[in-house]
Amino acid sequence: MSSVDMKSQDSEDSDYDQSDHMDDDDDYGGYYDNDTDDLDIDKPKKSDDPEYFEYELLQVEDVERLLNEEVETLCRSLKVDPYLAKMLLQVHQWNKEKIIERTRHMGRTRECAVCFQRLAMEMFYSLACGHTFCKDCWDNFFQIQIQQGITTGIECMEKDCNILVPEDFLCSALSKPELRDKYTQLSFTDHVKAHPELRFCPGANCSVIVRAKEPKSKRVDCALCKTTFCFRCGIDYHAPTDCVTIKKWLTKCADDSETANYISAHTKDQCTKCKYDFCWMCLGDWKAHGSEYYECSRYKENPNIANESVHAQAREALKKYLFYFERYENHAKSLKLEEQTLLKITSRIQDKVMNQAGTWIDWQYLLDAASLLKKFEYQQAQLEAEVENLSWKIERAEITDRGDLENQMDVAEKRRQTLLKDFLEI
Amino acid sequence: MAFHRASSGVSDELRDVNAARWPMGPQYTKQIFHIHELKDIRDANLKVFRDINVDETNILNWNGLIVPDSPPYNKGAFKIEIVFPAEYPFKPPKLTFKTKIYHPNVDEKGQICLPIISAENWKPATKTDQVIQALVALVNDPEPEHPLRADLAEEYTKDKKKFFKNAEEFTKKHGEKRPSD
Repeated sequence: MSSVDMKSQDSEDSDYDQSDHMDDDDDYGGYYDNDTDDLDIDKPKKSDDPEYFEYELLQVEDVERLLNEEVETLCRSLKVDPYLAKMLLQVHQWNKEKIIERTRHMGRTRECAVCFQRLAMEMFYSLACGHTFCKDCWDNFFQIQIQQGITTGIECMEKDCNILVPEDFLCSALSKPELRDKYTQLSFTDHVKAHPELRFCPGANCSVIVRAKEPKSKRVDCALCKTTFCFRCGIDYHAPTDCVTIKKWLTKCADDSETANYISAHTKDQCTKCKYDFCWMCLGDWKAHGSEYYECSRYKENPNIANESVHAQAREALKKYLFYFERYENHAKSLKLEEQTLLKITSRIQDKVMNQAGTWIDWQYLLDAASLLKKFEYQQAQLEAEVENLSWKIERAEITDRGDLENQMDVAEKRRQTLLKDFLEI
Repeated sequence: MAFHRASSGVSDELRDVNAARWPMGPQYTKQIFHIHELKDIRDANLKVFRDINVDETNILNWNGLIVPDSPPYNKGAFKIEIVFPAEYPFKPPKLTFKTKIYHPNVDEKGQICLPIISAENWKPATKTDQVIQALVALVNDPEPEHPLRADLAEEYTKDKKKFFKNAEEFTKKHGEKRPSD
């Protein structure tokens, strides 16, 4: 009887293909063969009545039982829990066979969204976000990221997903041991850079890491490579300027390299021909500077600037920049000259000692004085004057000048200390 | 369980090819991958991106035609080239305009500033059609905040009317012919 029933359902299926509800009804039919048997007796024969249509009337409880049976069947064949089975049935319009067929086809595999390969489930890994990709793709991805120098910032491969990849996850997927070492090395660098108390020494190939409790813009002297730098920003020590200003200044100088080049090309150090003593800054007569030697080093801004047009202001700003740049450039040159002086002095001392004109110890003070000179890079007018004095004296120093020279050194150092004190208190 | 995934996956014959050729090395998988992506894009049948051609000697080189649908670029079409690196999809594809375009985010060499394919933002799960969509969105809606051509970005922000006029004239002069349909 049931086999006959199934056949008739099949034929009806093709007629009512569009309707999912009909499918359901047909499925239920199979479970209620006995009931329909009884009813059939009273009904006219199927073949006689063209309007004959097989259906049955059910109560809510019957349907609930029926649906539960279907869910249970699917639970058993897929080995999933009833809630998932119910959801799957609902999504696929209660077409149990279709679901079972698709699962069989897939087996315990899935497709990787990156390489489109169908692989066994155990080949897949995911982070907390749940975006799952195959082990080979994670491996390839990590290799490329590490080669590009990215380590602590590696994110999930899914578009717009910002979940970060932790080290253990990365190591479990990464196949090349040499890249694992590179990862450790690069992430260590990232950690130090992110740590407020730690700084890499900026010296070339220097491995020293400096630790300070407070990130102040103070001077650090590296004992290994002899580099001097600012702890906060890592560039050359720049007191009494703060980190932000020096950065702006250096950027400006780099941006205006044309201006800077022009100035460098047109700044003369000294006149070797006529021996005329002139000021580096204003090119005026050196003698005319009197006691306020570097009076010209403070730029005198036109007090009426506010009343002038924007154009004039821009010109004034450029003039101001050029003025300060020139001074900055001169200091750099001055510093280079002092380095040369230092070399000359060393050889001069050598000569003097060789010629029995005093001992090495006697001449050592000269060297000390010269190296002190190197430190004065960004000093203001008064200090510059003292330093220039010192420089002048060193260049012409003979052994009898010792007291005078030491006095000059002391004055210069005092000026420097005063300047720094104000700066460091900020 | 991956039932939720739409069945837009690899067609059966492609999967068979994939399974059969996999032992020959990953190069084939990459090719399959490209055929797959190409198929997806061609199937999508986009009006704004069409005429996709794959270089026969190098399947990592694609050409296509961008057909914008909003002014000022809707007066022409633009040829673009997509080059996939050997490490694709772990490194981003490179997109370049082969037709001149008057656009703040495309430079004179046709290079494009598109965040989705920048080395630092690239995600391997990003599909080529998503990249194309991002490109079309950028063409229709320039981003003057991070321009490749500062002059055009300034014009776009300060005098949009003038920008539109110039861009339209430029498109008419240098753009490709738009497909009739």
